This record gives sequence, structure tokens and C-alpha cells, in this order.
Amino acid sequence: MNPFTGLPSTLRTNYRRDMQLLDSGFVRFWTVAGLAAVMLLPLVLTNFWTGIANQTFIAIIGALALNLLMGTTGQISLGHAGFIAAGAFTAAALVTHFGAPFVVTLLAAAVVGGVLGVAVGLPALRLKGLYLAVSTLAAYFVIIVGIGQYQAAISYGAGFTMPPAGAFGLAVESERAWFYFLLPVTLAILLLNVNWLRSAFGRAWMAIHHRDISAESLGINAASYKLLAFSASTALTCFSGALWAFHTGFVSIEAFDFQMLIQYLAMVIIGGLGSLLGCILGAIFVIVLPHLISYATQALPFLRSMGGNVFEVQIGFFGLLMLLFLILEPRGLAGIWARVRHYFELWPFKYRSWDA
Amino acid sequence: MNLLLVIVIQASFYALLGMGYVLIYRATRVLNLAHGDLMVFGAFLFYQVLVVSNGNLPLSVVAGLAGAAVLGALIYLGIMRPLAGYPVAVGVLATIALGILLRSIATSIWSGQTRYPAEYLGQLGRPIEIMPGLSISGIDISIIAAALVAMAGFPLLLQRAAVGVEMRGVAENPLLAAQRGINIHSINALSWAAATLMATVAGIFFALKVRLGPDIWYVGLAGFAPALIGGMDSLRGVALGAVIVAAAEVLAARYIAPQITLAAPFLVLLVALWIRPWGIYGSREELERI
Repeated sequence: MNPFTGLPSTLRTNYRRDMQLLDSGFVRFWTVAGLAAVMLLPLVLTNFWTGIANQTFIAIIGALALNLLMGTTGQISLGHAGFIAAGAFTAAALVTHFGAPFVVTLLAAAVVGGVLGVAVGLPALRLKGLYLAVSTLAAYFVIIVGIGQYQAAISYGAGFTMPPAGAFGLAVESERAWFYFLLPVTLAILLLNVNWLRSAFGRAWMAIHHRDISAESLGINAASYKLLAFSASTALTCFSGALWAFHTGFVSIEAFDFQMLIQYLAMVIIGGLGSLLGCILGAIFVIVLPHLISYATQALPFLRSMGGNVFEVQIGFFGLLMLLFLILEPRGLAGIWARVRHYFELWPFKYRSWDA
Repeated sequence: MNLLLVIVIQASFYALLGMGYVLIYRATRVLNLAHGDLMVFGAFLFYQVLVVSNGNLPLSVVAGLAGAAVLGALIYLGIMRPLAGYPVAVGVLATIALGILLRSIATSIWSGQTRYPAEYLGQLGRPIEIMPGLSISGIDISIIAAALVAMAGFPLLLQRAAVGVEMRGVAENPLLAAQRGINIHSINALSWAAATLMATVAGIFFALKVRLGPDIWYVGLAGFAPALIGGMDSLRGVALGAVIVAAAEVLAARYIAPQITLAAPFLVLLVALWIRPWGIYGSREELERI
């Protein structure tokens, strides 16, 4: 038996068994134990680190959205930071002009994202590969300049302060409250992604990723599935952008610069394109690592001399890592994890004899 | 009249930038989004020599260009060659990663401070009145001249010189070119070196005309708009694309709003991609087969 991934596919004897998410006692035990450990985290962590964990949750949602486009459907998007900005500013505008409540704002941001995704995805019906990448990059600059004009007109360039968040009479203000709000939300979106991937949607998207023309000849409507992928991804992205706005408490256009785009690209590439586990690992890596580095910087005197350029050095470090992963391990951290897992699963053998 | 002159200067600058994109795309089918950062890096190399040599302009230009060419060849051999055969998206992502790495290195070495190398120019930087109400500086004349030389020189090189013919062969069919005994890797490295050199030429001009700092990478990035509009594999397309983008940018800044300058090249690009994705003079992608 394979204790890490559940039953091998050859040993599942009926469809119910095949569709179960947690299909062995071992997996069930470790999922529950892992969740329990995560739930206890805020009790151990300081307020500062709980805040980092919350940023990580929001980043995981954003990374899952980007992965849906780039990893699953194979449509390269360089406009991610622009879509996050669109979500954050939708939230800010709704709050400023209409005083909309928290939950309504989040859902409205997702709807706006879904529509925006169709608009940005339309070129994808005509453009492929390189040209699509460029058109999303161009869309990024247009969105950012447009929002910048809006910000300058409404708030005289100062940015928007967000009201404290609250849902169903419960205030979501302290970092600890945010943690218990974001954990189930993130899990729900993760489950949504898992289910997309193992349904007809996911199979169609993966077929398009592989080769859109052959997908079409198999009877998949490539055009509408591409638009659907763009729409779903951008809806999730705008949702995470609205969460980001409320969690940060202040929205200004400067936050959505090219560095943010790089960070999200780094998450999905370092984590491993196409892997949900990779999104989680990548988001944790990109959000948490800079803080560990700044601890190291304080501890090691020779690093302290770089002082003022710490942020530049960090982002350059992500660039270097992205290059190394692209060249040496295109499957990312998730690929490394899979290799380590297989080594222990198969020990003392090296190669598996069945296809699982 | 003055507006026309501004457009011509801006178009020449974009043509210099766009040619770098085309050279790399023809050789390795990669859209090099690190071009803006290569421009910054080359311009800083030039500036460093300029400061050390106490304003020796010819020496600094030669040193900057040589350093950039070596850097370009190294990038091909170290990064793009191992990635050959991967999907296009991987190449684009690799150049983004490379760009952010280069920018970080440049900021670490030279800090984020803005500098004005024009102070070393002396007479060359001052505007000369050629007609009543119409003046042009020596540096502007050099930009236009450089663009004209490059526009005439590169096609000549590709048509006549042995190395140019080899470059075209490699671009058209790498496998057959390799079979004929052409060393495709050294030819591709040469293309990358030439493109980085063009980026540095543009970077030096921008540094002398406007300013120098790590943030000018954005200017270099905008150069892919003329290249795409003209057609990614066409050198004469770049010239036309550069004129279109420069005109759109200057006129939008003049008649609509100055803030729109940043977005203008990209708006034009979006429209152009929608109408004619492969560009004005670009060759259409081959028919796809299963």
C-alpha cells in the first residue's frame, strides 16, 4: 500500500472509492492532525507572525488563481498584479462611495473580476503564447495607469483608507480574528480548485494546455473554456485583492508595482507550475522567506552593510531562484517534494513497477 | 515643426530599442523582457568608466558597448541555451527573472540614486538653433544618426556579410543550419551580444539626454511595443512601429493628458495586437498541425 498518497489507483474497487478525497486512514489522520496544528498556530505565534500568516493565506488564493491560468490552462498571464489592484480598488471604491459591507464588497470584487477576466481573456481567443503574454502585460500597464488616474481624481493621490472588516456581526480586526477568518476561506478556495481539476472543467483546461487544437478536435470548445479559465482566475484574483485591501487597511496604487507581479510569478514557478501543493509552498516561500532573511540580516554583520537595498536584494534573489528553478527543476518545490516522497515510498527500490 | 522634431527623435530612440528585441527574437524566438534592464546595466557600465576616466567620452562609450556585448553573449550561453526547446512562455518568464536579477545587481552596485551624466557632455549637450524657433542638441542629432546607421547597417549586414547570412540561416531553420556546419550557438550568442549592444546604445543616449538610474528600465521595456507593432522578425517593421508609437505618445501627451504618456505605447500595442497580431511586416505563424 502507498501510505502517502492513499490507495494506488489499481486498488480502488468502486467509483465512490475513486472519488474520495481522503481515501486512506493514513491520509485522513495526517490531514486532521495538520489542520489542528495550523489552527493552533496563532496561539503560539506573536501578533507580527500571525499577520505574516494572514498575508500568506491571501497570497495562496492569488497564487491558486494565477496557477489556474498558467499552470492548468497554459495561458501565460503577466497582468496578475493589475487584477489584484482591480480587486483592491473595487473594494475601496464600493466602501468609499456606497459604504458597502465587508462580505458584499468581497463578493462584488469577485464578480467584477469575472467580467474583467472575460474582457482580458478575449484576446486569448486570437493570440497565443508570446502575443498573449504581451497583451496581458500591456493590459497590466493600462489598468494601473487607469486606476492611478481614478485615485488621483478621488483622493488627490493619497490613497484609500479601508474601514475595519466584519462579517455577520463579528468584527474581523485583530490579526488573530483575521487568521480564523482566512483559514476556512483559503481552505474552501483550495477545495474549489481541487474539484475543478478533477471535473470536466479541469480535464478540458489541461487538454487545452497540452495542445489547444487537439483539444478542439476532441470536441472541447477551446474558446469558451479559455474564457472560463480567464474569468474564474481573475474572479479569484480580484477576491484576493479585496481581502488584501481590507487586511492591509490602506489601498494605494504604488503597492501594485512590477515587484508584486514578480512575487506572484515567483510563487507559482518556485512552487511548481500546475501543482496546487506548489502554490501553497510557493506562497509560503515568497512571503515568509524575506522576513527570515531580515532576521538573518540583523544577526549577520556582513549582510547589514547592504542595509538600504534589502528589498532590492530580496527581489533579485527571487529572480535568481526563478531562473534556477526554470533551468534545473521546472516542477518546482512540488517536484522536489514528489521526488523525496517517492524515494521513501519505494525504498529499498528505485523505480515503481505500476503506473499510479 | 517642433512637435515633428520631437516625434522624430523619440521614434529614433524607439527604433534603437526595438531593434534589440527583433535581433533576439529572430535568433532565439524569445521576447526579451530583460531588455530594459540590459539597457540600465550597459548605461551604468558606460557611466562608471566615464566617472573613472574623468569624462573621456569615446573611451566610455567603447567600454560600455564592449562590456554589454560580453554580457549578452554570457546570458545566451548561461541561461537561454539550456532553455532551448522549452515552450515560449518559459523563455519569457526566464527573461523576466533575469531582468529583476540584473536590476537588483545594478541597484546594489550603483544604488538607486538618479544621476545626470549630461554634465560631462559640455558643448554637445547644448541646444543649437538651426532655424528660428527650432533648436536641436548635439545628442539629439547623434540619436537620429545612430538610428539611421543601425537601420541601414543591420539589413546590409544580414544580406551581404557571411556572418549575416549565417544568422538568417540559423533563424530560418536551426537544424539545417547546424547540418551545414554553422555553429548555431556562437551565432546565437553573437545575436544576443548585438542586441545587448543596441540596448546599451539606447541606454547611453537616454542617460545623456534625460537621466540615469535603475528606474529607467521601464523606458527600455516600452521598446517592445514598436517591435511587436512592426512585426517581431522584421527590421524595417521596427522603424514604422517606432514612428507610430512615438507619434501616439507625443501627440497624446500634447493633446490629451501628460499622465497618459506611460500607457500610450501599450494602448497602441493592444489595438495593434487585436487587429494584426503578427505585426505590420512580420511573418504569420506557420499553420498549426496536430
